[in-house]
Amino acid sequence: MKAWRLPAILVCALLACGASLLAGGSAIMPAAIASALLHPHAQNDVTTIVWQLRMPRVAIAAVVGAALAIGGALLQGMLRNPLVDPYLTGVSAGAAAAIALAVLAGVAVPILPALGFVAGLLTALLVAALARRGSGVDPNRLILAGISISALFSAIVAFAIARSNSLGAAQSILAWLAGSMAGRGWHDLVFAAPYLVAGTLLALLAAPALDALRVGDVRARAVGVDVDRAQWLILASTSLLAAAGVALAGMVGFVGLIVPHVARRLVGSSARLLLPACALCGAALCAMADAIARSVVAPSELPIGVLLAFIGVPAFLYLYLQQERPA
Amino acid sequence: MIALETVTIGVGGRTLVRDISARIGAGEFVAVLGPNGVGKTTLMRALGGLRPALAGNIKLGDVPLRSLAATERARAIAFVTSDEAMLETLRVRDVVAIGRYPHHPWWEWGETVADDAAIESALRAVRLEGEERRLLTTLSSGERQRVWIAMGLAQATPVLLLDEPTAHLDVRVAHEILSLLRTLADDGRTVVCVLHDLNDAAAYADRLMLLGCERMLAYDVPDRVLRPDLIERAYGIAVTRVETSDGPRVFAAVNSAAVGSPSR
Repeated sequence: MKAWRLPAILVCALLACGASLLAGGSAIMPAAIASALLHPHAQNDVTTIVWQLRMPRVAIAAVVGAALAIGGALLQGMLRNPLVDPYLTGVSAGAAAAIALAVLAGVAVPILPALGFVAGLLTALLVAALARRGSGVDPNRLILAGISISALFSAIVAFAIARSNSLGAAQSILAWLAGSMAGRGWHDLVFAAPYLVAGTLLALLAAPALDALRVGDVRARAVGVDVDRAQWLILASTSLLAAAGVALAGMVGFVGLIVPHVARRLVGSSARLLLPACALCGAALCAMADAIARSVVAPSELPIGVLLAFIGVPAFLYLYLQQERPA
Repeated sequence: MIALETVTIGVGGRTLVRDISARIGAGEFVAVLGPNGVGKTTLMRALGGLRPALAGNIKLGDVPLRSLAATERARAIAFVTSDEAMLETLRVRDVVAIGRYPHHPWWEWGETVADDAAIESALRAVRLEGEERRLLTTLSSGERQRVWIAMGLAQATPVLLLDEPTAHLDVRVAHEILSLLRTLADDGRTVVCVLHDLNDAAAYADRLMLLGCERMLAYDVPDRVLRPDLIERAYGIAVTRVETSDGPRVFAAVNSAAVGSPSR
């Protein structure tokens, strides 16, 4: 059992979030940040920067990372496929297409996250409807529907970029596709919180069945799992978590794919350890990635999705090849 | 313990076997035999409550199987199958622990002392103690089969159903598995399993259920089921019966002229 590693991962995640608070346009010493954290009502610039700019960024990065990683672990387990991520639900593609069309139509920027959220969930419903077989979900149909619908919506995004008359519109779409938390604040987190909580609760309801689903639907039924119910719970949970993540940070790729693999190596496959480990590792990874994204080309920012791809892909390949290597 | 009352099974709108009536007693080892596609797996899934019968009743004691909730059923019947893919990162103990699912309310995530004891006992029974940490992908077919059986044993059910537990196994490992099943039956478990080797079935099982021609052709002790006429009717192949000190054995005729179609 590797349960003892969970507290260690928690400490690492807290350290990553703490380190992320240090990053930003203004150089602020750790002691000043600690003081601002301890005195949130103090009237000075540092407190304002920490509580109104950096804390919401770190919190959003951590929440998005945790949500995508949990969604990835749930879907990978349910579909018995290590190569799927929460965006297979069609959430990101639907949100991207809606936002691209909205930008093209000149819709006001503040509305875009909510629009992306709603469009993402509607697309997830469409994918789920296509994946339905009998009273349950057909894993192969889900993969096919997810990939097909995502491809269709990606084409809509490409169309929108090609048709955009202004460079600004195309850049807005591309910035959203690359993932970013720039300009996000507490109010965004408050908007997404109910969906994050609902998604997490559904994940907790489905979690006990997740281990059994990994060894096949027949075996899961044989040990008493209501497979149809578990599948719908997982799909609903993943869709809500991914949609909330998309509304907060745009498309943040690779977290939902890679983090479950990392967490499995750290704590094993059992869902009761895997899901908390995914949440903590996802939070740590995104918080650190956001800190780097804010620092390397300060005062401007790198898109976090791009940065995660740069870090994530080599890390994933390294882990995967290590795993394949005979002992 | 298990009663089949004029049970008809089928799949995809097609009827496979009609009007099966049989009683399987506690502590009995029953082997289900029949040609490919006859409905053995479908029957096992119906016995396990995983697929409804098209008609008739399956009872566990006096209780109709379909009236049981999924977890109630899973505390009474374990179903062991060897097909279906899995993720690579599963370890032996993780898989065996899945058998404890029906013994937990949904909010109870942790393993209890009873879980530990059941998992250890299941691993001991299949002689995989000390292998808990191994990845499933590093196991041989025989070892993996033992893991699936251990998962069924960890369910701690009075009834154990197994779908082709000796498929793809060499003769020694197959006999190890069958000996294990025999021991489990001798210890009081009801064991029902699908087998393809008629002589293995005769050597280890108390009774044989022979399916063919859309019906149950025989359900009796091996001596009365391994009759050349019955076997030919089920499989469409002529066999020779030989009496040995261990009981009757049958051998297929090797000339192709003896191979026909199962008669109706």
